[in-house]
Amino acid sequence: MSTNLMGIFQFEDEFISALRRLKESGFDGLTAMSPIPLHEADHILGFGKSPVRRFTLAGTLIGAASGFAMAVATAITFILPTSGRPIITIPPFLIISYEMTILFGVLFTLLGFHVVSGLPAWRDKIYHPASNVDRFTLVVECTDRENSKLAENIILESGAEEVSRVEGDR
Amino acid sequence: MSSVLDKFKKYTKPGYYDKFDYHWTMTIDLDRCTGCEACVVACQAENNLPIVGEQQFAMRREMKWIRIERYWEGEYPNIKLQFIPMLCQHCDQAPCEIACPVFATYHNQDGLNTQVYNRCIGTRTCAVYCPYEVRYFNWFTYHWDEPLEQQLNPDVTVREKGVMEKCTFCIQRIRQAKDAAKDDGRRRVRDGEITPACVQSCPAEAMVFGDRNDPDSQVSKMARNSRGYHVLEELNTKPSIVYLKRVQPDG
Amino acid sequence: MADYIEPTYAEVNKDVLRSMMETGPKYWALLGTSISVAGICFFIPWFYQLEVGIGASGMNRSAVWGTYLSNFIFWIGLSHSGTLLSAVLHITNSSWRKAIYRSAEAMTLFSLVTAALFVMVHPGRVWFVHWTVPIPNQMDLWPNFRSPLMFDVMAITTYLTASSIFIYMGSVPDFAAVRDASTGLRRKLYTIFSFGWRGTAKEWHTLGWAYTFFAVLVIPLAVSVHSIVSWDFAMSLVPGLHHTVFAPYFVTGAIFSGTAGIVTVMFLLRKYMNFERYIREIHLVNLGKLLVLLSLIWTYINIMELFTTWFSGSSYELEALEWRLTGFYAPMYWEMILFCAVVPMLILFKKIRTSWKSMLIISILINIGMLSERFIIVATSQPRKFLPDAFGFYFPSIVEIAITIGSFAVFSTLFLIFVKWVPAVSLYEVKETLKPLLRTS
Repeated sequence: MSTNLMGIFQFEDEFISALRRLKESGFDGLTAMSPIPLHEADHILGFGKSPVRRFTLAGTLIGAASGFAMAVATAITFILPTSGRPIITIPPFLIISYEMTILFGVLFTLLGFHVVSGLPAWRDKIYHPASNVDRFTLVVECTDRENSKLAENIILESGAEEVSRVEGDR
Repeated sequence: MSSVLDKFKKYTKPGYYDKFDYHWTMTIDLDRCTGCEACVVACQAENNLPIVGEQQFAMRREMKWIRIERYWEGEYPNIKLQFIPMLCQHCDQAPCEIACPVFATYHNQDGLNTQVYNRCIGTRTCAVYCPYEVRYFNWFTYHWDEPLEQQLNPDVTVREKGVMEKCTFCIQRIRQAKDAAKDDGRRRVRDGEITPACVQSCPAEAMVFGDRNDPDSQVSKMARNSRGYHVLEELNTKPSIVYLKRVQPDG
Repeated sequence: MADYIEPTYAEVNKDVLRSMMETGPKYWALLGTSISVAGICFFIPWFYQLEVGIGASGMNRSAVWGTYLSNFIFWIGLSHSGTLLSAVLHITNSSWRKAIYRSAEAMTLFSLVTAALFVMVHPGRVWFVHWTVPIPNQMDLWPNFRSPLMFDVMAITTYLTASSIFIYMGSVPDFAAVRDASTGLRRKLYTIFSFGWRGTAKEWHTLGWAYTFFAVLVIPLAVSVHSIVSWDFAMSLVPGLHHTVFAPYFVTGAIFSGTAGIVTVMFLLRKYMNFERYIREIHLVNLGKLLVLLSLIWTYINIMELFTTWFSGSSYELEALEWRLTGFYAPMYWEMILFCAVVPMLILFKKIRTSWKSMLIISILINIGMLSERFIIVATSQPRKFLPDAFGFYFPSIVEIAITIGSFAVFSTLFLIFVKWVPAVSLYEVKETLKPLLRTS
């Protein structure tokens, strides 16, 4: 049975070093919560380039194509000539395409954010309110008793204010 | 696939209607125009144009699909008065048509610049884009006092507030003549069968209306006159109205 | 800035959240005033106009566009700096952005909403305005995508969507902070708003990426929006509007007035919400420098506009130019030159640049100038186009003036509601700018 240990830190550097040591000791079930984004934590936890970028790219491509396609399709379903212009008028339709590129890019990025981050997640999870004010919190999943002893040692040695055993989803 | 490409090529070519079924054209001989404004009154009666009242007239909100523009030339005492009737020019490359976001104004296959009242949302962009300023906006819903509502033309709609309107070349008469020709089994309308209200009422016969696609029509002959010109030709709007220059005694 | 003491993380939370949670009588008085002004000056005249028709305005045959359109451009313009500036500064990693960007983006959003309201006020039959949206219908009748107004519809909906997403996503961690600090209904609401944000490294990482992409997408969007608005004018044949310089002219003017708007909003936030520790002199000085730059660009484009008009030799253009420079609205034109080209040069003096009061006055003057600029563009060009017989004149009616005043109240109402719902200063980004919490130091 696995248990979760939560360590609360006051200082960023200690928090990072605890995180690094846990990772090096082979703990994979790590969650780091902080009031500000910490790039070092990203490196330690192995977050490289976010897959959000694929969503953005897909969105912009779909938007560009569908914007132009929409303008063309609507123009030829009901032919209403204006001002001696062609029915498929390329320059204005490119503007429509441009706007749709951005619209879809933004919407797909939003979708990507939700998919990748797993939000919205309204069910109860392990959380410490202070971690959104001025405390750095990490939660580590320990598979057995020995393991959890090791983790607790690492957290405390690094300088955590407190360590506790917590229940719930990580 | 090739048919799609052909279609695409056709649609990307400027001027979708190269050859109109008809190309309704009007010539206005300024040498004959006396500025009597009979056309203005005729148009007002034919097309159910509201009388806006003195106060609104002073605010320049009058409804006159055709108006007589008056220009003074020279300094007193050597002064000359010029008239030029101004109505929708039914331009082949009308600046107003691209302006409309909802296709309330477009070009039909007769070469007419049409205005669809039901579709209009009243952004008034077309009126800004029109260099001839012949588009008139319904600032209010106008009412006709009794018994004036009895003389409204049943063939023409009464417009509500917030709608743009303009000269239609009396499209109801064009429609009637075309229907009559169809009933008679004729393919085309004969020259002279259609006369818009303004043309009909002109005592000096300064205006001629007809189909420019027919080279033998009276209007085509008039339009070939060497005095012919378009107003604001340099804007490249390709108007359908040809004005015939007034011949001045002193050149 | 010797007496400046950096706040701690906890103090940041306390200060900002206090501004949301504690509401004094002054706030309610202000909110009440602005709601009633908005009602009396904006909505009642508007409903009156809907009832009788656009004739309630001062527009007439040759001047079919009036203050509704000029105000629309003004509000769109004011919306320009918030999101744009925030995005540009985010990408260039300028840390001074962080304390001001939330309110700047809110300004964008609410001035866009106000502009969108003018889109509703302007047309003759607003109850059919949905026809400009490409909705499938049984008649197969679609909007005209060749029309510059359709570009507008597309651009503004995109801009509204993108900037609301931009401001919302930037606020998610702060919503979580509000959630943690509150109880009851507010806690429930902010739990939903914050998507259950916990601040895990994964969430931060994803947000950072997504946010950068939003910023990258928003910059070309914002530039395109005001270019497109300018094409509403420039694509007409009207002398005085038919200029190729219009797109950069409008974009520059928009950023200019928007930046001035940020200075005004910053002053008010700092003064009335006690954000002295977050909104500091560095913001004022940097925005001041930006204002000088934008003013110079704006002046240059203005001179070029005059030059190309003169150089064209077209009699219509020259006539329009003469009327603009010497006609009835000439005092307004020269006032605009004074407020937008001359007054901002005072910022070059350090004493003025670092004084909040003088910057407030300058920023308000700039926006008065920009409001007049938009009015001049509308009111001096299209009443006098080509045919002298059709020359007209435009002066706004009482309804239009009331709606113009009311629009400011609409904006301030929205903004006042905003400051109580969203932290007006970004918590986590301010914390990022503070000294990191390190044991070793």
